[in-house]
Amino acid sequence: MTDRQARRKVSREYFSQERLAEHHFRSFNNFLGRGMQEVVSEKETIDTDIGDKEGEEPVFVELGDVRIVTPRVREADGSEELLYPQEARLRNITYSAPVFMEMSIVRGGEEEEEVVVDSAETKVGRMPIMVGSEKCNIAGFDDDELVQIGEDPVDPGGYFIVNGSERVLMTSEDLAPNKILAEYDTKYGDEIQVAKTFSQRRGYRALVLCERNRKGLLEVSFPSVSGSVNFVTLVRALGLESDEEIVHRVSDDPEIVKFMLENLEMADVQTEEEAIETLGKRVASGQGKNYQLKRANYVIDRYLLPHLHEDGVDEEEVRINKAYYLCRMAEACFELALGRRESDDKDHYANKRLKVSGDLMKDLFRTALNKLARDVKYQLERANMRNRKLTVNTVVRSDVLTERLEHPIATGNWVGGRSGVSQLVDRTDYMGVLSHLRRLRSPLSRSQPHFEARDLHATQWGRICPSETPEGPNCGLVKNFAQAMELSQNVADEQGLKRELASMGVEGIPGIEGVDRTTPADD
Amino acid sequence: MALDSPKELGAIQFGLMDPETYRDMSATKVITADTYDDDGYPIDMGLMDPRLGVIDPGLECRTCGQHSGSCNGHFGHIELAAPVIHVGFTKLIRRLLRATCRECGRLSLTDEEKEEFSEKLERAKELGEDPNDVLKAAIRQARKAGRCPYCIDQSTGEPTKQHDIKHEKPTTYYEVQDVLSGEYSELIASAMQPDPDDEDDPGMAPQELAEKTDIPLDRINQILSGEFRPKADDRKAIERALDIDLTEEDMNKLMPSDIRDWFEDIPDEDIEAIGIDAERSRPEWMILTVLPVPPVTARPSITLDNGQRSEDDLTHKLVDIIRINQRFMENREAGAPQLIIEDLWELLQYHVTTFIDNEISGTPPARHRSGRPLKTLSQRLKGKEGRFRGSLSGKRVNFSARTVISPDPTLSLNEVGVPRRVATEMTQTMNVTERNLDRARRFVSNGPEGHPGANYVKRPDGRRLKVTEKNCEELAEKVEEEWEVNRHLIDGDIVIFNRQPSLHRMSIMAHEVVVMPYKTFRLNTTVCPPYNADFDGDEMNMHALQNEEARAEARVLMRVQEQILSPRFGENIIGAIQDHISGTYLLTHENPQFSETQALDLLRATSVDTLPEPNGETETGDPYWTGRALFSELLPDDLSLEFTSSAGDDVVIEDGQHLEGTIDEDAVGAFGGEIVDTITKVYGETRARIFINEIASLAMRSIMHFGFSLGIDDESIPEEANEMVDEAIENAYEQIQELIETYAAGELESLPGRTVDETLEMKIMQRLGKARDSAGEIAEDHFGDDNPAVIMARSGARGSMLNLTQMAGCVGQQAVRGERINRGYEDRTLSHFRPNDLSAEAHGFVENSYRGGLTPKEFFFHAMGGREGLVDTAVRTSKSGYLQRRLINALSELEAQYDGTVRDTSGTIVQFEFGEDGTSPVKVSSNVENEIDVGSIADRVIDNEFTSEEEKARFLGTQEPPTNLSEYAGPGLNKAGTQEVESDD
Repeated sequence: MTDRQARRKVSREYFSQERLAEHHFRSFNNFLGRGMQEVVSEKETIDTDIGDKEGEEPVFVELGDVRIVTPRVREADGSEELLYPQEARLRNITYSAPVFMEMSIVRGGEEEEEVVVDSAETKVGRMPIMVGSEKCNIAGFDDDELVQIGEDPVDPGGYFIVNGSERVLMTSEDLAPNKILAEYDTKYGDEIQVAKTFSQRRGYRALVLCERNRKGLLEVSFPSVSGSVNFVTLVRALGLESDEEIVHRVSDDPEIVKFMLENLEMADVQTEEEAIETLGKRVASGQGKNYQLKRANYVIDRYLLPHLHEDGVDEEEVRINKAYYLCRMAEACFELALGRRESDDKDHYANKRLKVSGDLMKDLFRTALNKLARDVKYQLERANMRNRKLTVNTVVRSDVLTERLEHPIATGNWVGGRSGVSQLVDRTDYMGVLSHLRRLRSPLSRSQPHFEARDLHATQWGRICPSETPEGPNCGLVKNFAQAMELSQNVADEQGLKRELASMGVEGIPGIEGVDRTTPADD
Repeated sequence: MALDSPKELGAIQFGLMDPETYRDMSATKVITADTYDDDGYPIDMGLMDPRLGVIDPGLECRTCGQHSGSCNGHFGHIELAAPVIHVGFTKLIRRLLRATCRECGRLSLTDEEKEEFSEKLERAKELGEDPNDVLKAAIRQARKAGRCPYCIDQSTGEPTKQHDIKHEKPTTYYEVQDVLSGEYSELIASAMQPDPDDEDDPGMAPQELAEKTDIPLDRINQILSGEFRPKADDRKAIERALDIDLTEEDMNKLMPSDIRDWFEDIPDEDIEAIGIDAERSRPEWMILTVLPVPPVTARPSITLDNGQRSEDDLTHKLVDIIRINQRFMENREAGAPQLIIEDLWELLQYHVTTFIDNEISGTPPARHRSGRPLKTLSQRLKGKEGRFRGSLSGKRVNFSARTVISPDPTLSLNEVGVPRRVATEMTQTMNVTERNLDRARRFVSNGPEGHPGANYVKRPDGRRLKVTEKNCEELAEKVEEEWEVNRHLIDGDIVIFNRQPSLHRMSIMAHEVVVMPYKTFRLNTTVCPPYNADFDGDEMNMHALQNEEARAEARVLMRVQEQILSPRFGENIIGAIQDHISGTYLLTHENPQFSETQALDLLRATSVDTLPEPNGETETGDPYWTGRALFSELLPDDLSLEFTSSAGDDVVIEDGQHLEGTIDEDAVGAFGGEIVDTITKVYGETRARIFINEIASLAMRSIMHFGFSLGIDDESIPEEANEMVDEAIENAYEQIQELIETYAAGELESLPGRTVDETLEMKIMQRLGKARDSAGEIAEDHFGDDNPAVIMARSGARGSMLNLTQMAGCVGQQAVRGERINRGYEDRTLSHFRPNDLSAEAHGFVENSYRGGLTPKEFFFHAMGGREGLVDTAVRTSKSGYLQRRLINALSELEAQYDGTVRDTSGTIVQFEFGEDGTSPVKVSSNVENEIDVGSIADRVIDNEFTSEEEKARFLGTQEPPTNLSEYAGPGLNKAGTQEVESDD
């Protein structure tokens, strides 16, 4: 075979039709495979108010494994049958699969032993299933079988069917979380340097800003604290006390050290306790001192850089890591101020992350599960009040979850107030479908110019089609994937990755044993 | 028939309304919050009381006796249990509270000051300045006075002290005054203690304090023990002695009733001094005691499919108000505690506030059960969809149609092809007289579906009858004189045609109707430029005019031919475009020869039906006509014109004969084609319309005769040319490499005002621009003159030499925001290049041509450059719309008056002479070179007017006609010549 022929064969193999909605499948399968379980495990238990009264034992529900089967339809006579996409489309029903969850109601823990009152795997609701995903009934069918059940063999799949209408979840492009981005900003007419981080953990997103104001002082702002907090105060509150260590953690560059010394000189507090006190006055002014301290501790553990929290790492270490992180943000500010580096390019594709259908479904499932939990709590309390026997099957109403999952997909009104997330599949022609499935949306407002965000960025080469973008107000904000685009998923086993990194000589990874944490690396 | 003659508005005055007037105007008091009873009838003294007007058909209004549709509705009123503040006046209320005395209500200004501000107000009104500024200044002045200049406080014997007024948005006012702190004794005691941190502070003993303040010691002790509250003087003394502040702010809330009492005391002459007309607007009327209830017609309830009634938002809000109002009254009568009363009062205030405006900052908007904020009074008026911008300044109209447009070169530019569907829907009113009776009957008998048919007839008694397929024959016979027939649009009717955005006056022009089959509006391609239309799916609107005045006006002022000259640049905006220009170019460029058949074919679509004398004979002895001769047939016979086109061609036309030069865009094109422009100005619009129509037809015939196509081969250049291009680019690369080396060595000299980096960028850009140009030149040299792309570019029909260069030579440097492409990965644009590569290819230079094909990298850079253009267009269109709106708002009321000035509606002169020179841009020559020869126009007009030399001479006054008025002044006896008798005329 000639080289050319060989290449042709390879590319033909590569650009097979299965690839067209591959990113949707991978993401959604990932969600079904582990995302759902992760969300349930995060939730762990459903607590109730039972037991608040004297002499009553608390009751809570432990959540176990979730299991999802393939789509089926429940007929009026109660029989349940496998559902195929074409039938869902024609009958205007939802292509969704029942979700089961192990739940056990536990009583006790206060005076008495914890007793499992009831434990069962129950149907908690129905999850719309992506056509062509691994839980889809047509997964693995060959062309003939597909034709047999009325499916189009060349249909790429990758969408949901809700009430008979086909809906795609728009991939959305966000700024990468947990990354320091340094840039210039203006405040009261002065140019200042800011280091930004969108810190994200389990659906909670917090913007942490580190600014170097015109006097050269560093200020940090993060959610739940109005205005900004002095950098040194915050770092001290986090346990990085001594001047030397703070400076050293920011940078050893003599000019940056000079900047840092200015900051330390202006510092109001010297010790961790003082710093927490000062912070307490900010977050709960006018309250009692004890409450202030409690609130200050709560705020820095809860709202400041939440992504640095990790299971199995103790608070102390998380705090010092937060301090180190803030120091790195400070360094970025100073480097920008000194012209040592240029401001980060927000349009660089390395600074972007894509939310594909699986990620969006995870957000949805999280809020739906919370809603379900609230309902279970209510049902439990009611049943308890009437002195009924508490059983798993009676307290779970599966409609709650189903409704919460279907409604956003049907209307496009996602959690967090985003709209237009799901769209009706463009069936104008086959190309329309393909383009629609591979479409990508930027959350930037279309009414503002945003010239730079609309530009075709060189880093989009090979990832985003340079030609296909709508004309008009959405120009450059709505994009389409390039043919050869490969979308990587986040790593399933983070601990494993970290261990691997540690074994390769990376030091100071939080939560990894066998690394000497007493002497910080002098990098 | 009612005679609605237009009436003139003398003036409009806005003011506040007296609660008494509300009550007088009110049709009923509203006391129950319920709307309908169980049988679905409105409840008496409820919100849907039939005295407030009717909305259900069949019911009779209990106030005016009319039925729904003719009854406009009547206001009712609600007696509020307690006064509440009108949110619309919170600012004015605050100002008045601050400016007037809390005791006597008089303005805290001396008589002289009042006088001064009254005068200033007069002046402001005269000068058209904002009287609000004077009001603000007066208030500021009044606020400065700490004490009332008029009244005396009984308790102190001093002029009354004024307190500061604090306004908490939206509707709460406080009086702020300093009073003695409740903890005064502790404050004093702690200040007297010695400071533990300060050794020099020994503290102060009570005796010492007594000495310092001149207060007896036992009084000091009493104060210290908290038994005696120090008076103001003593307090100040103690404060001074101990350097402490013993006061705290006391906020006394002013209830709306307090404010109302306060305002009632303000004398008329005082508020008139600050520009409030006391006759019409007493300040206490800003506090509502009676709430007017809008008529039901202003808040109709709708019946849903299931028979349920759904009420208007305003009704919902009124229900809330009445409920709270009643609860308030009940509670007060029951003697409820003050706290509850105040809460209810606040609630009432909230409901009345949101009834008036539901978008007040600081107040949560009142919501519907579904969570949607209610649309209350001010929301109905505000914004784009509000009453003013949405329903009054612009609204949807009848007799309008919208559809896709498509071209039709057989139409005149004055015409528009109207689809039959539209023509049968849109009607014109025909007043039947003895002269058109037969025609009218024919229309009616054709029915609503046949084409020149009719949709409605109106009898002299005012009754309108619908013409249907069934009754049309019958109805046609009944039609008599004085009936009105709404007939379909027919050929020759005048309609208005518009394409949005309407950016200039030529976006709306009047066309004559040509009814046509199919479903699109058809237009002559020459009217595309004024509308800025093309046929890629554009839609346009058509409006059928509904009265004779409008039709006359449209025909005389708005017809397309009247708009040939654009007021923007004073030259024609309608003319040949695109293929028309290619056509005339081909026809006249090398002056080709045509046989008789060919010549006749070319002129077939024009009104020329006889050929001129042939220009000569071919070798075979057949007569031939040249292209220029055929073109000349369309020109006015006596047109003489000479000009140089921008292509450098001298065009000579003498006595209507085109002798020299090529006819291209500069001659006949839209946007200032010389010949079209001259004909329009010299021979008039009608001649110009004929000329443009015919030139378009001739040009189409011509281009079809020659054949015109553009293919991929038309852009190829020979191999050696390609090599030359490559060499030129190679050359540029070498020079750039040199530049980069000089730069790297730090030897590059920076240009003034630029950094070295910028200088390098600029030089590279320059060099690459040159490279592309030379590639273009090479390519151009290798194109024949008969190359269609070259023809289009040279004639100005479409495209430019630059486009050609890019197709055949080299696409050139791609730029984003005026710079080479620099963004991308760190230190480089694409990962295909090494970091910090400054070379041309690494920064978006495309050395290939479109025909040759771009490399992937080049393609990507080209897409980057192309994206900028797309974004720019998208952003620009949205911005220009807003700019347009603002311009129109600023200029809409300016008008040129008969005295030549331009004034606004208040008569203020904006320009003393229209455009500072008093000329219309379309009536004067656009530049010095083509002056309009007025003399020759006058000669020609007069020559046409008179048949004999004698008449002409008489008209011009060079020859007196013989008179027989008197013998004295008779012919031959010209005695009068010396006596200077004045004639009657």
